[in-house]
Amino acid sequence: MKPSFLHQQALQLQYNPRETQRPPNLGINRGSLAVVQLEFVAWRRCHTRPDQSIKMKRKVAALEKVDADLPALQYRIRRDPKSYAQEFFDQFLAYDAQKQIFLSAPATASSEDVKKFHDLVDMIAHVADCYPDVTGQFAEDLKALITQHHATLHPELREKVVGSLSLLKKKEIIDSTSLLTTLFPILVSTPSKSLRALLFQKILSDLREANSKSINHRLNRTMQTVLHNLVSSDRSSPKAIWAVKLTREMWKRQLWTDAKPVDVMKEACLADNEKVIVGGVRFFLGGDKEREELEDESSDDEAVDLKQVKHQVGINKKSKKREKAYKKAVEKVKRQERKKHQPHPLNFSALHLLHDPQGFAEQLFQKHLQNTKSKLALENKLLVLQLVTRLVGLHKLTVISLYSWFTKYLTPKQANVTSFLASLAQGTHSLVPPDAVEPLIVKIANEFVSEASASEVAAAGINAIREICVRQPLAMSETLLQDLVQYRKSKDKGVMMAAKGLLSLYREVGAELLKKKDRGKDATMGIRSGDIQQLKYGEEEVATGIEGLELLAKWKEEQKKRKRAEREANGELKEGEEKDDDEDSFNESDWEVESVESDDSGGWINVDHSDDEDEKPAAKKAKRDDSEAPDLVDADKENDEEEKEDPAAEAERLVKLATTTILTPADLAKLAELRMEANINKAMGNTNKHQKALAARHTDDGLTAEQIELPAKLRKTTKEERLELARAGKPNRDEHKSTQAIKRSKKDAEGKSTTNKEKARKKNFLMTIGKAKAKNKRSLTETRRVLKGHVERSKRGGRRGNIGM
Amino acid sequence: MQVCILGDQYDIDRAKHGGVDSMSTDDLKKLNKNKKLIKKLARKYSAFVASDSLIKQIPRLLGPGLSKAGKFPTPVSHNDDLTGKINEVKSTIKFQLKKVLCLAVAVGNVGMTQEQLIANIMLAINYLISLLKKGWQNVGSLVIKATMSPPKRLY
Repeated sequence: MKPSFLHQQALQLQYNPRETQRPPNLGINRGSLAVVQLEFVAWRRCHTRPDQSIKMKRKVAALEKVDADLPALQYRIRRDPKSYAQEFFDQFLAYDAQKQIFLSAPATASSEDVKKFHDLVDMIAHVADCYPDVTGQFAEDLKALITQHHATLHPELREKVVGSLSLLKKKEIIDSTSLLTTLFPILVSTPSKSLRALLFQKILSDLREANSKSINHRLNRTMQTVLHNLVSSDRSSPKAIWAVKLTREMWKRQLWTDAKPVDVMKEACLADNEKVIVGGVRFFLGGDKEREELEDESSDDEAVDLKQVKHQVGINKKSKKREKAYKKAVEKVKRQERKKHQPHPLNFSALHLLHDPQGFAEQLFQKHLQNTKSKLALENKLLVLQLVTRLVGLHKLTVISLYSWFTKYLTPKQANVTSFLASLAQGTHSLVPPDAVEPLIVKIANEFVSEASASEVAAAGINAIREICVRQPLAMSETLLQDLVQYRKSKDKGVMMAAKGLLSLYREVGAELLKKKDRGKDATMGIRSGDIQQLKYGEEEVATGIEGLELLAKWKEEQKKRKRAEREANGELKEGEEKDDDEDSFNESDWEVESVESDDSGGWINVDHSDDEDEKPAAKKAKRDDSEAPDLVDADKENDEEEKEDPAAEAERLVKLATTTILTPADLAKLAELRMEANINKAMGNTNKHQKALAARHTDDGLTAEQIELPAKLRKTTKEERLELARAGKPNRDEHKSTQAIKRSKKDAEGKSTTNKEKARKKNFLMTIGKAKAKNKRSLTETRRVLKGHVERSKRGGRRGNIGM
Repeated sequence: MQVCILGDQYDIDRAKHGGVDSMSTDDLKKLNKNKKLIKKLARKYSAFVASDSLIKQIPRLLGPGLSKAGKFPTPVSHNDDLTGKINEVKSTIKFQLKKVLCLAVAVGNVGMTQEQLIANIMLAINYLISLLKKGWQNVGSLVIKATMSPPKRLY
């Protein structure tokens, strides 16, 4: 494996003239060169002719000097690669020789050899980019070494080889793909924990770096294929956990956001190894939340307090460094601002990116839940169940056998029963046949909800029923509902609240099932007028128009009239302008002004807006009062005429607005405002915190056991719990001290300075004693002078007071 | 635009009277939950209407095929006017955004007049925009297109 002698000579020939140009360095270089060459010769001899070992000893001693000099050599090479080519080449030969030793017996190498080889590898890796023709084989050698002997190599050397490989990648001597394809198989197969940690970190950082500037689709695709193969080839092996870990990490950092990693995770969920399954399932249940959290965190982290930076520049000594830091901070803030205004990259959650949710849910259910032979622990089973039901609820899948499977788990004695209840509720949706869910509801009612059962149990039962019925109201029978609603008179607060929740739900979605007295005003009136009709199975609410559009149309009409009236009042109305008035629907300012405004936080716009509206009419009214009477009458007449129009024609006109004009951003903002105004009565009514939380909950979010248990927290707390709660907020006191002392120590810990008072108090008594004595001996005039001075000083504001300046 | 009635005897008779395709429970059972056949059925028609008594059976009879295709039937009771219901179904469109960032919607056919088409396009745009959180800021582009025609960008 030694480079050919011819080649070596050629190198020497090439660089000899340069050496002659550098007389002062010549001696040293020649010397070290000779030693290395001798050493190389010696090595060859000791392998070929072992009898000449005496000569070798001397040379080894000489070599150690050079060994110590490797970092220096590296430094020199970096400064001037051409001049030190020969030295490097000799080191490279030494490396080559060591490698041969290692390859012949990797396990039995002495620690000295390991150290030597370690240093050589380090040096060569650092300067490999200077001599691409010599080190062409270097990366390949390292790869082969680590791939074949990673189990037997010395740990330090192993780490060095891995580090060198990633260094070579950084120097772009090898590409990411080859690095990853080398490291990943080792990560999967090595038994060493520390090496695995190192490899995982290296792989991850490499992938991140490769995707940092722009997304490297090719690399990602190859990596994802490797991971996919790893997971799907051998379903029972625990190795797939690394694919899961890697994918999850990349997903979290938003580097992989497409369907392929989701597919890897899907395969992981269908594996046989429990750890792999749990890893996959947890990804689907929490991966997206993790991603969001990371994003929030990173945006918080980078926040730069520009004010503080500026202040620091002001008080400290001015220097170029500080100036640069300030400029950097400004730039960073600007970048962040720009980032903030950029449209949010649309991220689909992993659950949405699944290719075939129906098939996946069915497979999961059959493999891990329905199958009596699956040996998952209960908590892991629950995780899988959560995923299955999330999928069913989210994609409205039909897995009918799921519901009958639930039957045996719905008893109060079942461990983690609230999780089962929550899963059942989130697995229900409007397309589930009501007759599949009804028996379950009946069972929950029978098992959980009775006077004899504990209040927490009953509350959880009613809550679960409520959550199911939110999603499929048709699954409830009349008698059962009326029975459950009776519990709103219960003495226990949890049960009472749960029953009230159920009642208010059915007032909205199925008032016919309730007794007449329970229906409430709105529902009764709605039923009588025919406004409220329960949706039939499979029926969907069809929006006939844009909500609140009639309000917008009316508002526009009024605006137009007002404008016209105003112009008439001012005597400005000309025929030409009337046209202008009519085509008010499209003007540029509408598009621009509002689009800028809507960038800001929403709440304030509305307030500003309505203020404007309030002011304008007032101003207009004032103007009108100034003008002559007849015009005003005219305007009023017009108003009356408009109002007289029959409702049918009005409806037609409203549709006209949607079909003839395009809504501008200004229109949309107004529309939202009007809608909110119209709903204000509803909002003012009986909405408590709980209901608001319910309304805010997105349908895509899953249901957790806590939400089923929620009212259980409403019961009275015991004394211990209250004590614990009170203690929780306060910092724990180790020793009894005055609050002053605690404050002081806190300040000390933060590195803050002491006040003058404190300094005076702490001052050594012996230092103050002289002054105290002198004070006693003052004469009367002296005392007077001192007092006067003190008064004056305090008036001025201290010795350095600036009065009169 | 073809609509299929999945109904009991009464509705099938009504459908035949109106000249609309129809299938009975037995016909559905004959599909035997065969995924390919159900997919074929879902492809053949653009919408389904099922009678009240039958619709609860649909998931059991046909499995997930129809809802997967986004064509779960609309219920119709014996009191409802069948042709009216079919018209209603025909004039309803679904906005559905999944996995991809684009969304396509049918706004009309060849038989409609220019004014009708314009009205439909306007209505569709306005409705979509009113649903989006940031209105026009959420829209990259709007394009109209007919069968085999070059696309025409509107926005």
